[in-house]
Amino acid sequence: MKITDILNESVVRTNLPGSSKEEIINEMIELAGSQKQVSDKERMRTAIFDREKIMSTGVGSGFAIPHGKTDAVSDIVAAFAVTAQPIDYQSLDDQPVRLIFLLVGRDNMVGPHIKLLSRISRLMNNEDFRKQLLEAETPEDILELFRQEEAAITEG
Amino acid sequence: MAIEYLLLIGSLLILISIAFVKLSDNMGVPTLLLFLCIGMLAGSEGPGGIYFNDPHLAQSIGIITLVFILFSGGLSTHWQEVKPVFWESVSLATFGVFVTGVAVGIFISIAFNISLLTGLLIGSIVSSTDAAAVFSVLRSKQVSLRGQLKPLLELESGSNDPMAVFLTIGIIHIITIPQTTIGSVILLFFVQMSLGAIMGIGLGKTLVFVINRLKLTYEGIYSVFALAFAALIYGATAALGGSGFLAVYVAGLIIGNDEFIQKRSLLRFFDGLAWLSQIAMFLTLGLLVFPSHVLSILGIGLLTSVILMFFARPLSVFFLLALSKFNWRERTFISWVGLRGAVPIVLATFPLLAGLPEAEFIFNVVFFIVLTSALFQGWSIPAVARLLHVDAPYEIKRQYPIESVPVKGVDTELIDLIIPYNSAIADKPIVELDMPEDSLIVLISRGDNFIVPSGGTVLQEGDSVLVLVNKNNLPIVRKIFEKQQELAERGDVSN
Repeated sequence: MKITDILNESVVRTNLPGSSKEEIINEMIELAGSQKQVSDKERMRTAIFDREKIMSTGVGSGFAIPHGKTDAVSDIVAAFAVTAQPIDYQSLDDQPVRLIFLLVGRDNMVGPHIKLLSRISRLMNNEDFRKQLLEAETPEDILELFRQEEAAITEG
Repeated sequence: MAIEYLLLIGSLLILISIAFVKLSDNMGVPTLLLFLCIGMLAGSEGPGGIYFNDPHLAQSIGIITLVFILFSGGLSTHWQEVKPVFWESVSLATFGVFVTGVAVGIFISIAFNISLLTGLLIGSIVSSTDAAAVFSVLRSKQVSLRGQLKPLLELESGSNDPMAVFLTIGIIHIITIPQTTIGSVILLFFVQMSLGAIMGIGLGKTLVFVINRLKLTYEGIYSVFALAFAALIYGATAALGGSGFLAVYVAGLIIGNDEFIQKRSLLRFFDGLAWLSQIAMFLTLGLLVFPSHVLSILGIGLLTSVILMFFARPLSVFFLLALSKFNWRERTFISWVGLRGAVPIVLATFPLLAGLPEAEFIFNVVFFIVLTSALFQGWSIPAVARLLHVDAPYEIKRQYPIESVPVKGVDTELIDLIIPYNSAIADKPIVELDMPEDSLIVLISRGDNFIVPSGGTVLQEGDSVLVLVNKNNLPIVRKIFEKQQELAERGDVSN
């Protein structure tokens, strides 16, 4: 499964409002949670915040990837946003976060879930790519950037 | 016989035996009985028609396989479980064996008008029990035992073979060298047992120490090393005049309850080896016996069996556990679970080799006793356990996606983590992470690949991993994964 398969214009935002980690994650849940694959947004929220308690998903370099697994979704849902302001996310490197990827998988689909997690975190571990995302003006630009970057990685 | 036929026949016998393990699971018959029967059927009086009458070879196979069975038995015995019943088990394994042997001996020498020494020899040979047979039956019937019964039976049966061996050798000694004094036999007892225990403890600890410092490149060699060491423990102890069987069992117990590298693969290796040993031993013993000869002692065999099951074993159990915390139901059950296994048959080859005139007779009687004990006691154990209310629901072990040692009563869970950017653990092999003992990285996802990690696998930034972790250890694991590289080490310092 490709990252661009699970993103679409309705779940990608630039200038996401919010000033705290919690606010931002909740905004992301609103974004992803309005899709038809989500049967229970609150259970999805619980799964994400439960996972966050185990260890911060702010993996560093201004990027965070809140995620969780729940049976409240029928298929993988995702959202991506660039925040309007830097957020204190309690990241592992203590740097503020501006790039957020939300990923929610089905309970019994561990394989695809962790595969996407590693794909996304690997893609985001590229300073140029992060810079381009920060500078993108519209959701379409962001999707196009993901498309290009993913294609480059798959070919390489 | 040409080697290809030897391999063909040997492997076929083993494969048939394994096929019957499945069958015995369904029927609740002790596996040892089936292996013996397959050996008999393959023998000269069965359809197999293989003529085998070499007690010397049979005894050698018996001793070698017994060394590995006992070592493996020690390895899989959990000290914490058997500790509370240590003294009860040990007294059953020593005095209990003695009382059983003497009671059987006196009875049959009176009943069948044979010499007291021959009677005592038979009694000694059949005096030790085999609990592996018991637990295989219980497991297949999905029955467990209440309270301390399981550890007691486990430790008793694992540790009572040396005593039976000693009694057998001691009596053969008295028969063949008439001027032997009781005093010298008692001295022999103390030398055998103390040397056996000391060598077992000392060499067991040595093995753990050495194995942790070996730094061998190939995992497989650790098993070979331990295998050779187990044989060494037996050989060295026996050569010095100690009980080699006691030494290997004690060493197994010491090693199995200590921590060392490659423990899992070693335990597995010896579990497999113990199975192979059991199959090989019983097949050999089944081949060695001539069923028609066994039938000729039907009367005396049957009566001796009855005496052993209903009189001698209960006598020793009730006598030695008189002051113990076990209630009468439990004592009755312990009495009934005096299954005789391979050791008596192996010991029955000793008189043959010593050239005793009654050796053939003794061998057949012993063989018959083992057969009836395995058949009647083995088969009836689940029912007897229920009847005496000492059974407990069988716990089906939880299946984990990958082998681990879950700690009892504590929650273990599978969590997913991402290796952070600039993580201190990136580019390090997993063995160097100092993960808590009961935590395990089960799977690594990197790009489009899944990697099943081994200790040498190196983690990378952005990998996502599945970690099996004990909830108590979560903070430790978190700390390991959260650790960032020192700023100076970072290749690119992001803004």
